Amino acid sequence: MTVTLQQSSASSVLKARRAHNEKLARKADQTRATWFPLALLAILVALPLLQFVGNYNYVLHLVLFTASYVAMASGWNILGGFAGYVSLGHSVFFGVGGYFAGMLLARYGISTIITAPLAGLVAAVLGYLIGLITLKVRGPSFIISSIALLMIARILFDNWEFVGGANGLTLPTNDLPVQWAKLPYYYAMIAIAAFTVWATYRIKHSKFGLGLRAISKDEIKAESAGIDTRFYKVMAFAFSAFFVGMTGAVWGEYLTYLRPNIFLLILVSANLVLMSILGGKGTIAGPVVGAILIVALNEFFVATMGASEINILGTGLVMAVGLIFFPLGLIGTLAKKGKLPRVLNWD
Amino acid sequence: MADILQILILGLALGGVIALMGSGLSLVFGVMRIVNLAHPSLIIAGAYIAYWAFKVLGIDPIVMLPVSAAILAAVGVLLYRLMFEKETKSAKYSEMTVLLTFALAMMAEGVLGGLFTNTQRVTSPDYATDAFFIGDVFIPKGQLYAGVLSLAIIAALTLFLKYSRLGYAIRATTQNREAAELLGVNVNFISILAFAIGIGLAGAAGSLVSFVFSFFPAKHWEWIAMLMSVVVLGGMGSILGTVVAALLLSVVAAFVGTWIGATWSTMTFFLALFLILLIRPQGLFGEKPEMA
Repeated sequence: MTVTLQQSSASSVLKARRAHNEKLARKADQTRATWFPLALLAILVALPLLQFVGNYNYVLHLVLFTASYVAMASGWNILGGFAGYVSLGHSVFFGVGGYFAGMLLARYGISTIITAPLAGLVAAVLGYLIGLITLKVRGPSFIISSIALLMIARILFDNWEFVGGANGLTLPTNDLPVQWAKLPYYYAMIAIAAFTVWATYRIKHSKFGLGLRAISKDEIKAESAGIDTRFYKVMAFAFSAFFVGMTGAVWGEYLTYLRPNIFLLILVSANLVLMSILGGKGTIAGPVVGAILIVALNEFFVATMGASEINILGTGLVMAVGLIFFPLGLIGTLAKKGKLPRVLNWD
Repeated sequence: MADILQILILGLALGGVIALMGSGLSLVFGVMRIVNLAHPSLIIAGAYIAYWAFKVLGIDPIVMLPVSAAILAAVGVLLYRLMFEKETKSAKYSEMTVLLTFALAMMAEGVLGGLFTNTQRVTSPDYATDAFFIGDVFIPKGQLYAGVLSLAIIAALTLFLKYSRLGYAIRATTQNREAAELLGVNVNFISILAFAIGIGLAGAAGSLVSFVFSFFPAKHWEWIAMLMSVVVLGGMGSILGTVVAALLLSVVAAFVGTWIGATWSTMTFFLALFLILLIRPQGLFGEKPEMA
């Protein structure tokens, strides 16, 4: 069999490919319903107006709570979804962010809303250092190491008297009237969630994100293709820790206390995994949809049955059923069937 | 000197129990590549069986051991068929099964918590609080019985794996699944069998644990990291490695607990896990880890 070689030079091939890619990108931009997330954001920003006509603190709390999980699950998605490294220890960064900003608030009276990016940075540096050790192993061993990390953090914080030990620390409350007391945290959390979702979108479509996705598909091939897999993985760990740490910072002041048995819970980590997987790991909209679903489900279980054991059982059950029947998650399954509504295609 | 001997004995006795707790985990990983995060929660289920049998019927936990092992083994068969059989063809098998067992652990905790509340329990047969004295050194009877029995069960398991036909088949499946299948081993049956034995070992460990440690449904989160560090240190899938690692870490933890402080003794296990991942990810007796 004879092989005919293409006569055109390499540069013209590259040029044609670039033009083709741009055409594809333009087409994707035209069909993308960018207005939908923006409209959603606008509604959430306007929601506190309800406070003028009555007391809707519970609604605001629910939105704030959901937004915190949207931010954390999307952050988790960078490592777990894009790079394929499932971590069950991300509540460590939630705790570290919360404690760092909370201590600044307790000592110097600086609001966590201002120090949140700094808290995120501390969490990211910690994530980078931990990643250097634990990202040497993959698959099951990595998951185990992440659980051990959480256990270590729990023991350390339980015994660290400077930050209040197991009893934790009470933070000063703001002096706004009850009607408006939640608002600063509400807007801060919405902003963090929106920023995280936007950032995951940018990361996914960058060269960095492409490298991460290559790692999740086949790490050895990715490495031989010239990707510095170790650096990419560790950076993914740091980025995902950053967003979780920021969320923890604002959450601490909102709760008005820091306690190891609230921040360093494996249930928090489990929720992040569950939300991302149920919504669709590695997609942008997946963690958002997953967070909304799980928070709604949790509220339902707590409201109808109350007991926390039922809640744990329910979470486990939803996780198992979701994994067995929809391993790609809601968004992933719909996208595979070509039935994903345009408003939910945020990729 | 007597001090050191004392700590050594206490560490070794506990190490035996921990070895039994980890051996089921190691077996299930070796044969099926499932990292069973639900293992400790099933141990707790076994402990509750022994606890209620003792409390209501007055049956000794050691007598209950085969019963709770059999009940848990049956549960294991059921779980395997329901949750894991279909996954063997999944591309992300190891990750999927870890998450599934994680979900299972949560379900077990929820069910046990709903049924028995979060009160700390411990079975209290006479020997649990009694001790032998040899000079200055005392040996708590409960821990001694549990440790010796655990090592005996592991020895029986090793003999079974080494000399019986089914044991050959299990070891062949551990070494190379496809090759074993080509040689006529019914790999699916062997998987179910090994899973049942592994979970049965959890039941056996449970009845011994019930009078050695106090337990409550959420306790398994503390145990999972401890058992995992034992299994990883020993080399995943190697039962001999699990035993060596359990005895070693348990003795070190006993020394840390006496000399530095009781809260830090559990820390030994977690730090050991990090160290071993850093220095020798395949563990003491493990093969090179595969990158998949």
